[in-house]
Amino acid sequence: MALPSASPHRILSCIACALWLALAATPAAAVLRVVASTPDVADITSQIGGERVSVMTIAEGSQDPHKVPVKPSFVTKLNRADALVVQGLNLEHAFVPALLEAARNARILPGAVGYIDASLYVKPLEVPSSQSRVQGELHPLGNPHYNLDPEQGLPMARAIAEGLERVDPAGADAYRAGLARFSQLLERKISEWKTLAAPLRGLKVVSYHRDLPYLASRYGLEIVGTIEVKPGIPATPGHLQELLATMEREKVKVIIREISYDPGLARSLAERTGAQVAEISALAGGLGAPGYIGSLEANLRALLAAAQAGSSG
Amino acid sequence: MNRLPLRGLPRAALCIGVGLVLAGPAVRAVDDTENLQQELRRTREELSATRDALERLSERVEAMEAASVEAPPEPTPVATATARIAPVNADNPAVSVVVDTAFAQDARHSYESIGYPNGADFSLKGAELFISAPIDPFLRGYASLSGSSDEGFDIEEAALITTALPWNLTVKAGRFFADVGRLSHWHDEALPFVDRPPSIDRLIGGESGSEGVEVSWLAPIDPYLELTAGVYDTVGAEYLEDLNDNGFFGRRDFDELTVLARPHTYLDLTDTLNAELGGTWFGQPRDHARNLWAVDLTVRHQPGTSGVYQGLVIGSEWLWNQQLFVQRDPMGVVVGRIRHDRTGGYAYAEAFFSRRYSLGTRFDYSESPDLVNDLARTASAFVTWMPSEFQRLRFQLDTSWGDQRSNQRYTLQWTAFIGSHSHGFAQR
Repeated sequence: MALPSASPHRILSCIACALWLALAATPAAAVLRVVASTPDVADITSQIGGERVSVMTIAEGSQDPHKVPVKPSFVTKLNRADALVVQGLNLEHAFVPALLEAARNARILPGAVGYIDASLYVKPLEVPSSQSRVQGELHPLGNPHYNLDPEQGLPMARAIAEGLERVDPAGADAYRAGLARFSQLLERKISEWKTLAAPLRGLKVVSYHRDLPYLASRYGLEIVGTIEVKPGIPATPGHLQELLATMEREKVKVIIREISYDPGLARSLAERTGAQVAEISALAGGLGAPGYIGSLEANLRALLAAAQAGSSG
Repeated sequence: MNRLPLRGLPRAALCIGVGLVLAGPAVRAVDDTENLQQELRRTREELSATRDALERLSERVEAMEAASVEAPPEPTPVATATARIAPVNADNPAVSVVVDTAFAQDARHSYESIGYPNGADFSLKGAELFISAPIDPFLRGYASLSGSSDEGFDIEEAALITTALPWNLTVKAGRFFADVGRLSHWHDEALPFVDRPPSIDRLIGGESGSEGVEVSWLAPIDPYLELTAGVYDTVGAEYLEDLNDNGFFGRRDFDELTVLARPHTYLDLTDTLNAELGGTWFGQPRDHARNLWAVDLTVRHQPGTSGVYQGLVIGSEWLWNQQLFVQRDPMGVVVGRIRHDRTGGYAYAEAFFSRRYSLGTRFDYSESPDLVNDLARTASAFVTWMPSEFQRLRFQLDTSWGDQRSNQRYTLQWTAFIGSHSHGFAQR
């Protein structure tokens, strides 16, 4: 039996039907396509925006935010994004400018409506008075690692909510409700953590990178040195000898290693001084805890565990 | 006479006296206890007051600390802006200088045709001044001015790039490195080796220098796909130099211009493994004087670990060049024409360790575009150390063999970056 012949008209009709079905089957798209530079701002954006936003993150929690690879697959996401949320203070200098250069999307360039800077209401610490590279890789607008301080989550959320509202005025009520919800949750946790963190007050620590001033100021940690010679400048043997002497003189009991940095040096220093190593993540999700708030708590618990082991050791 | 009372009086007095003597310390002890209790009460009260004062003081300090961190910024321009952007003076664009210096020695014989002369020398491989800035909301401009021991001073690039065209289009015009393959449009100091692979040097003519116009389009789809088309006076720094030195400053008929097409795509194979694939064709229509086809493939493993091993890049390009050469007699008179089909390419692998080190190896195969019996194979090993992000030391050992006598060459390169140096996305 001969098969019925397929006329061009019939083929075109089938293709049109298939396309219509495919389009009809596609779930309703979120209102805003948002690209976030770090998991921290991504999580806050998701919590504030809820179903009105679809958020894609560039950096991963375990990565060094100063060395995130520039992948072309991020370019296509940025090309079609309605908004870009950055942590700001030049934290993303190694990857966002290069990606934006290739993304061809004027809506999300710095200064445009879709460029949402989470640092807008943060008061920066360690703003350099000079830009000389003798001081290492300085961030001209101040230390950008404010996300490690729980209290800074509140101004971050405010800036993000306002940014989303600017891009999508129709969702203003939803974003304000999302901001209130997130802020309430974070404030409750901050209150819990304040009590929990009491043993950290006055604790002398060494960190790998100079990324703890906000966290240290919040919990009363005393940073007596860093494994890096200067921000972004890897350790030298001479610097490590000096650091060892400082740790012994100051009786440092805890070394804080941000998980994106070499574990070997921190371990070696700990073995030689008897200090404990606390592993924290400079970006949300690096320790496996979900979300921004979960990551803050994971960091705090890692510090407390090391402090306790250090004091009993 | 009743003597008893008289007899008992002294006794009673004695008893009272003894009693008083014995009772005296007890009375004093009662007083001391009361005094001590009062003092204890006073001390407790004072301590409590001090503790309260300390707590109040502590709360004030905490409140001041919190206020100093929480308070929104003062009503500076930041409060009304939507982002904190590093201050840039519109009259002073981003400026940087690269100093790229080297010492090289050929251990046996020269291999001149791939740029390895005999002997030892120190050289300034390049001192590059790079200037870049937005011109207005629609245009960006940059220039790269370079000088070196071998080639003197030259404007490597001076180009304008649109930033706000619709439909994902970008137009670039001026003098720039045409979008050929991968490494031919990288500046020398950005290469992963001390030299440009000989195959690219010979078949393209150094970096892909050109003067012309280039249009690129980014496909509005999820996978990365970019298409580039260009028209130029010629492609290849050496060809451009020859053209501009011949007195016509590149002026020629329309069909003598070089045209180019290049598709380029990228795939994330896994979270940590990705691949880039590109193809290039450029040619000169008149007499099919030159046709070059190239494919390039780069595979990267980027695990994002903090351990010793931090990643691997494997890259390769292969080029086929078909070119018409004019044969002249010693007096310069044209005596004939000859067409050569020549191929070449390279493959390299570079592994990254502990944020500061990398170790790599490269193999290059190159045929001369015009000479007969001038095949060169080069195997190289290189190690790179970066004391900081802004300076780099590299040692490379090359062994070359082929139609000339084999040669060993070693090079020590020291490169430093002054200012804000970045060639951007294209040289990632």
